[in-house]
Amino acid sequence: MQQHVALDVAGHGHSSADHAGGHHWEVSWAPMAISFGTMFLVPLTFVFALVYKMPLVAILCAGIGTPLVLAGIARWVHEGATQPSAISNVSPVGVGVFIIGEIFIFLGLFASYWMMRLSAGDAWPPPGTPHIGTTLPIIMTFILVGSSITYHKAEELYEHGDKKGFLTWVVISMVLGAAFLGCTIYEYSHLIHQNFTPATNQFSAAFYSLTGFHGSHVIVGLACFLFVIIGALRGGLHKMFVKVAGIYWHFVDVVWFFVASQVYFW
Amino acid sequence: MLKRFETLITAGAAYLLMAGIAVAGTPHAAAPGGIKNPAHEWNIVWEEILWDLWIVGGIFAIVAIWLLVKFRAKSPDQVGSAPPLNLDKALAWALVPAALFMADDFLLAAKGWSLWNLQRTVPANAMEVKVTGNQWYFEYDYGNGVTDTDLTVPVGRPVVLRMTSNDVIHSFGLTEYRVKEDIMPGRITHIWFYPDKPVETAVVCVEFCGNSHSQMTNAVKAVPQADFDAWMAKKLEKKKPAAAAQPAAPAAAEPAKTQTP
Amino acid sequence: MTTATSTDFHDKSGSTLKEWIFTTDHKRVGVLYLVGAIAAFIVAGIMALGIRLEQMSPGESGLINYFVLDFAKTMPTGTAYNVALYFHGAAMILAFLIPALTGFAANYLVPLMIGAPDVAFPRINALSLWLFWAGILVALMTFFVTDKPDIMWTGYPPYSVTTTANTALYVFTVHLIGFSSILGAVNFLVTIIYMRAPGMGWDQMNIFVWTTFAAFMIQIVFVPVLASAVTLLLFDKYMGTGFFDPTRGGDVLLYQNLFWFYSHPAVYVIFLPAVGLLFDIIATQARNHVFNYKACVYGGIIGILAITGEVWIHHLYIAGMPDWLRIGMMVSTLLISVPVGLLLISLWGTMYKGAIHYNVSMWYAVVCLFLILVGGLTGIPLAITSMTVHLSETSFVHAHFHFIMGLMATFAVFSAVYHWFPKITGRSADSAIAKWALWIKVIGTQVTFWPLFIIGVQGMPRRYWDYAMFPQFETYHTIATAGAFLIAIGVILMVGGWVWSAFYGPKTDSNPWKSKSIEWTHAESPPGPGNFPKPVAVDPYWTPYNYIEWDHDKY
Ligand code: HEA
Ligand code: HEA
Ligand code: CUA
Ligand SMILES: [Cu+2]
Repeated sequence: MQQHVALDVAGHGHSSADHAGGHHWEVSWAPMAISFGTMFLVPLTFVFALVYKMPLVAILCAGIGTPLVLAGIARWVHEGATQPSAISNVSPVGVGVFIIGEIFIFLGLFASYWMMRLSAGDAWPPPGTPHIGTTLPIIMTFILVGSSITYHKAEELYEHGDKKGFLTWVVISMVLGAAFLGCTIYEYSHLIHQNFTPATNQFSAAFYSLTGFHGSHVIVGLACFLFVIIGALRGGLHKMFVKVAGIYWHFVDVVWFFVASQVYFW
Repeated sequence: MLKRFETLITAGAAYLLMAGIAVAGTPHAAAPGGIKNPAHEWNIVWEEILWDLWIVGGIFAIVAIWLLVKFRAKSPDQVGSAPPLNLDKALAWALVPAALFMADDFLLAAKGWSLWNLQRTVPANAMEVKVTGNQWYFEYDYGNGVTDTDLTVPVGRPVVLRMTSNDVIHSFGLTEYRVKEDIMPGRITHIWFYPDKPVETAVVCVEFCGNSHSQMTNAVKAVPQADFDAWMAKKLEKKKPAAAAQPAAPAAAEPAKTQTP
Repeated sequence: MTTATSTDFHDKSGSTLKEWIFTTDHKRVGVLYLVGAIAAFIVAGIMALGIRLEQMSPGESGLINYFVLDFAKTMPTGTAYNVALYFHGAAMILAFLIPALTGFAANYLVPLMIGAPDVAFPRINALSLWLFWAGILVALMTFFVTDKPDIMWTGYPPYSVTTTANTALYVFTVHLIGFSSILGAVNFLVTIIYMRAPGMGWDQMNIFVWTTFAAFMIQIVFVPVLASAVTLLLFDKYMGTGFFDPTRGGDVLLYQNLFWFYSHPAVYVIFLPAVGLLFDIIATQARNHVFNYKACVYGGIIGILAITGEVWIHHLYIAGMPDWLRIGMMVSTLLISVPVGLLLISLWGTMYKGAIHYNVSMWYAVVCLFLILVGGLTGIPLAITSMTVHLSETSFVHAHFHFIMGLMATFAVFSAVYHWFPKITGRSADSAIAKWALWIKVIGTQVTFWPLFIIGVQGMPRRYWDYAMFPQFETYHTIATAGAFLIAIGVILMVGGWVWSAFYGPKTDSNPWKSKSIEWTHAESPPGPGNFPKPVAVDPYWTPYNYIEWDHDKY
């Protein structure tokens, strides 16, 4: 009877050095810097600022956290471009999985919004809500969809090896994304001016959580673009990174449809 | 092919058998006139469930011990010799146990659900008391101006509590009467119980509510009707002497409402 | 077969400390997860000792203040107890058990079992690790602030919003460890899908790999919902929103629904990998194949996956849920016994006609078999609405989940550490002391938690440090306290034994159990960077459990 054991691949020819992972312990300080940087930047800064009302310590924590995170990301991007990975071409799947997670965060927030909204019945929007125009969100929608299209264009040019065109269109996408954020800031300042703050009522709570959380995704997307540009200028930009940034950006775009339709038009 | 049918038929038969037992084992409705005491019913169902669990657990445990003893290695190099399952056996080993487990589950669900119906169907003649939870005490309102911080009820009459909270979530736990339900701000919940003998027990707050959570308790006194009337009269007198002539017994509750959020 | 020695393979240059701390290698990441998890277990376990001491007598002993480092006794006893219990529950689940299973075990074993050189995204893996450590650090801040969180691991509003204590630490602990889990899911789902050795089909994976896959499917869907729930808690407390404030149109039960929507599935994030470990340990020690593999995987594991999202209401039975929600969720909760039962039949069947070799890790696994029964079956009355209106929020619930989670899953982790100790360190941790530690813990745990069943049925409420209304329970509580200290002795012996064995234990060869699983057959002990001296591939009939050859034409 034949013995069925796991086989060694017959005649594997390559030397141990070019086999993924190599024969030395891989190290990177980037993940640790980002993790502890995040710890300083978010929890500690928040706790000292809002729980203990110690603004100086909070600023100190943010001051420690920000450079750690930035240095970590820069290092990471650099390593990502220069070091071989254990397996190639799966990054898009990874982002896909991550996006599933993101969808469920948004679902949690939406569920809370729907619960409040439906149990309020006719008493909606609750008192204290100023008129919130729908023109701006429509414009914002066009801007964001536009940026998705321009980034798609950039990706196409990248495929064709047109580096200059690629860079141009990424920058255009970034400008559009920034314009979107600008609209949000304009709208927020306008609303806060009318005393419509997160604490005003149920709608304001949901409004700021949903649009704010979406806005934070726009910021992350813009940061990705920034690293795409830096990578392209310095050389060694990984193809996968371009793709991943694109998938993420399209996701941010699609989420906006839900945010806008639920928050502004329902 | 025939074998596969046998598997399915065995599974189906086992299922039907257990479903039959489930229906047969369902507690019957209360005898006309008499009130079924949910606390007693709880004890009965609990005992039945324990039997069920001991049997299921016992079988698995005994088989485990047998396997562990019987199949210990006789030599350091010995390897297992279990034959693989063919498709029919594999299916049978999945479907038959699944059907048995499922049938047991439905049996338990049926038993449990009929008790639940009893627990939620407030008898028409129940006396209603309003309960308000506070950090860290309960307040009782008998609906006739009488309020207290202990719960006093007459023996022989079902009591329904309509409950809400002024601050955080509490829970009204009546160990003696085998019921509890949360008390929440912004919602009204209810439980009912049947004090069938004079006894003094305690209510405990069983939803975490802060520092004195474990001290949020008070007496629950089930007293004979006469004593209750006397107590109520005294309370009324103290409350507003002018209104002492009012009927002492609070109005009977309307029949059970569904959950009012 | 490969029996390369470590010298011709390792590159020993470079500083080792740096290689450990900045490592992106899945094995070292795994070990660092274990270190963090055991640290959390010990601190949370010490809290448990404090809890048990305080519960020993109905009144107040005041000892608990010392446990939460409140030596000046500035806090009332009740608050100190709540802080200790908050930390115990939160740390045991979030910082010990889930990271031990989906951090340590998954990291160390999955790539080795599927024949991959590493996980798909090693740097993201290290990011997960350090986010988890950051979460532990934030959790440990509990002991060093004056407004220590006292909101229990469930963090229910309105209490968690109105309390003067620091709810933010809880929220950020959940955020950091939750984000770590989400990234872990990204890594392991991709790794398992794309990085199996050439030729390895889905039905040729170790059961542990399957359970890890399922556990991360749960994590990717449900953790985010928990994250959103605690975020809203943070907004309510510190930004003045009113999501959970009924006086402003919010809903107190919204949080509970979101919380349990995650936290029920989370119990299977624990249960599945724990049982997966037992499968691989028992199959190896019985030198046998897994009984009815397909029923185990597609009926058991996938079955649990299918039901787990539809049962969370069983944690809200006493919260005034409408009946239509209750009956459906009650039946689906009960039906979980079907996939779990199929898993158990496969687990039991794996011993059938096996050749069981007893050693310390097998003994741990044996104990787990009985713990599953006690812990799992006591979930059944809790699943039945009408039973739960009495049993809920009593120490019966404690006993239930300590048996299934605090004991069974925890012992499964310990069993795994012993079983793979030779792989991780090249040395054996099996010794007389290790066995003593086991049996002391077995006695200690039974002495601790059976009394909780008994007084639970008689009504002992949860989260009570003062039970003056139930003086009759004092004896049981005293017995339970004695048991807890026995457990502590066992834990000290066990952890001490691990540390000693890692440096001085007897050396073992690279496959001491004569296992057929790839991590033993193809890697050295301990494996070097890249895991395998030569890339691994498997043939179509290979399985990790093929101790005897079958006639494949016949089956
Ligand atoms: C690893 C963790 C884990 C696991 C696996 C489980 C498994 C189960 N749990 Fe448990 N549970 C917890 C951890 C866990 N639980 C925790 C932490 C809490 C409290 C949280 C808190 O409030 O703080 C809790 C609370 C809890 C409650 C809420 C109690 C309350 O607060 O009122 C309920 C109610 O339904 C419940 C039920 C179940 C059921 C039905 C299972 C089932 O999965 C069990 C299935 C197993 C078996 C049934 C045994 C083996 C099967 C067989 C032998 C086959 C044949 C059996 C039959 C046909 C019956 N659990
Ligand atoms: C994985 C989960 C897990 C584990 C392993 C444990 C382990 C233990 N638990 Fe825990 N427990 C929970 C999860 C867990 N628990 C949860 C979720 C709750 C609910 C919280 C809530 O209500 O919100 C709870 C609640 C809870 C209570 C309820 C209190 C109350 O409601 O009032 C009690 C009381 O007895 C208890 C006891 C114990 C004991 C004695 C152990 C023992 O097994 C612990 C053993 C460990 C040790 C004793 C540590 C030993 C180490 C040392 C002594 C240091 C040695 C130093 C070196 C080696 C360097 N637990
Ligand atoms: Cu009120 Cu607990
Ligand atoms: Cu559950």
